Amino acid sequence: MSKLELDDLRTYYRMEEGWIEAADGVSLSLEANETLGLVGESGSGKSTVAKSIIRLLPDNGEIVDGSIRFDGEDITELSKRELRRRIRWKEISMIPQSAMNGFDPVYTVGEQIVQAIRTHESDVSKAEARERTKELFDDLGLDEERVDDYPHQFSGGMAQRAMIALALAVDPSVILADEPTTALDVVIQDRILGTIKEMQDELGTAMVLITHDMSVVSETCDTIAVMYGGRVVERADAETIIKRPKHPYTLGLRNAFPDITADSQELVSIPGSPPDLLEPGEGCRFAPRCPFAEDRCWEETPQPETHGDGHVVECHRADEAEYLRKEANRPETWRTDD
Amino acid sequence: MGLREYVVRRIFQLVITYWAFITLLFVLFRAAPGDPTSMFVMDGMDEESRQEIIADLGLDQPLYLQYVDYMGQLLSGSFGVSFRYREPVWDVLVIKFWNTIFLMGAAVICAYVIGVLAGALLGWWRGKRAERVGIVAGLMARSSPEFWTSIIVLSVFAFWLGWLPSGGMRSIGAEMAPSFSARYLSTDFVYHLVLPVMAATIYYMATPLLLMRNTMLDVLKADFIEIKKAEGLSELTILYKHAARNSILPVVTMAAIVTGTAMGGSLVIETVFNWPGMGREMVEAINYNDYPMAMGAFFLMGSVVIIMNFVADLLYVYLDPRVEYK
Repeated sequence: MSKLELDDLRTYYRMEEGWIEAADGVSLSLEANETLGLVGESGSGKSTVAKSIIRLLPDNGEIVDGSIRFDGEDITELSKRELRRRIRWKEISMIPQSAMNGFDPVYTVGEQIVQAIRTHESDVSKAEARERTKELFDDLGLDEERVDDYPHQFSGGMAQRAMIALALAVDPSVILADEPTTALDVVIQDRILGTIKEMQDELGTAMVLITHDMSVVSETCDTIAVMYGGRVVERADAETIIKRPKHPYTLGLRNAFPDITADSQELVSIPGSPPDLLEPGEGCRFAPRCPFAEDRCWEETPQPETHGDGHVVECHRADEAEYLRKEANRPETWRTDD
Repeated sequence: MGLREYVVRRIFQLVITYWAFITLLFVLFRAAPGDPTSMFVMDGMDEESRQEIIADLGLDQPLYLQYVDYMGQLLSGSFGVSFRYREPVWDVLVIKFWNTIFLMGAAVICAYVIGVLAGALLGWWRGKRAERVGIVAGLMARSSPEFWTSIIVLSVFAFWLGWLPSGGMRSIGAEMAPSFSARYLSTDFVYHLVLPVMAATIYYMATPLLLMRNTMLDVLKADFIEIKKAEGLSELTILYKHAARNSILPVVTMAAIVTGTAMGGSLVIETVFNWPGMGREMVEAINYNDYPMAMGAFFLMGSVVIIMNFVADLLYVYLDPRVEYK
């Protein structure tokens, strides 16, 4: 049984004009101690998936269909109270994009971590919780004394470490990390990711790493799911996605990031803009931007199909992957006429 | 810079503000139209005795000497002698001042406690019907003139239900207690205090209420609120310990200003409820050209505002750890 399993999750946002289908039939699974990378551009629905898991959707957001199973139990069925007491933080915690804004500015970081511990473990005394916070700080390479500092007294990287301490405070089994390093410079970014990895191995925590940065996922993740237009268009183990992707979008995404091992490389972006998810109707959502789109791509929504060893692709032309990969490597392919 | 230096600087600023304020008072009253001798002039008084009175009051001196005199008096804690009562201003004013402080102080405290708590709730209830009802109620309270609110409050609680007295500060025949505490802690006093405080609270509550709601809306969008929700904290903890606590800063700044308006605006409430306070005394002093008395009243009211600002500045240090001491 997987630790966390999403099955055909549909999360929509109610608008005056209709429903925005932000996550439309997302299926994912996460094993204990696994790191799953959720990749995609802004608006692809990756944050919506994370927010659905911990149920922090805005007022107009709604899980309209599908299930989210945590240890086999569908947590979309839980009452708010139940979710708050049993799941939130205790089982599933999160690391936000900007740690600096993730802490309440008027309390010390230590106070906030102590509060989180004592909310879920009522038998722990203040002093004990404080001791544990100090230990966490120590484990994460922060000076113990800094538990008494306010968030604004931390640097960006330090704050992110403190945020990780908060996320690990009650030893959750899953961490949702929403672009945890985008606000940091590359060197710090690398160290933070390293720290996360270390802690994860030590505690056996699973993680969903949400990012738009291919280089981050390739280093950190065991499996990768690529999202486009509210759907998971391709998922497989990290190596397969990086080396032998089949979906044209993944191919394009790969081109848009520099490969530091190559001598020189022209960065090629995918033309066009993300799709409008307001009741999009039938057809592949990537078709308007896809250089390989055929007639049926416009008419028929491709369904996820497994292509050997857990490699799931949602594309009508996935069988021709060899040819697509070759074509996709040529910058001309992605150039539009105008 | 340390906390101590910050406080010392604020105190220094307080002194400068005070000096500017009392100088302005001096200039204002010298520039005001009207004849200070009118209080003393009787029919058929000749020019000579009029000059005598002016000399007596020190008004024949050049301005700078008057200014030095005036500053000297203030520094020694004297406001001079009332033209009208022929008694030291301070003796008359101090009683009225406390009457007003108890009335408006209670009202501002009630208004702030209710306004802040309810405003936080309104922000939390964003988009719900309860929020709209609250905003409409707040706007109505804010736009109704004080005398009108007072009349409504009076007609309901004093005339219709008959629960509370319609005016005055003490029941007729009640003896004025000699000691300060006995005077203001008696049930009779509190009994008379309820209605005017209620009317003023309704009026002054709206500012913190609406301001609190507005800042709450901003704070609720902050990332940390989402994290606190994800942490599994209860809604009440997030609402009051985190969201409201972060929204309170502008409301505190506003408190100094609202207290000032409340002191100045006490006149209307005092008049409707026949409350022997400073607002009424001030207007009467001006009507009678009783300059020392009016200046004394202005001085006390201004002092309340200046001191409240000072307190707000100090409170900020406690409320927001990000405040730099400069």
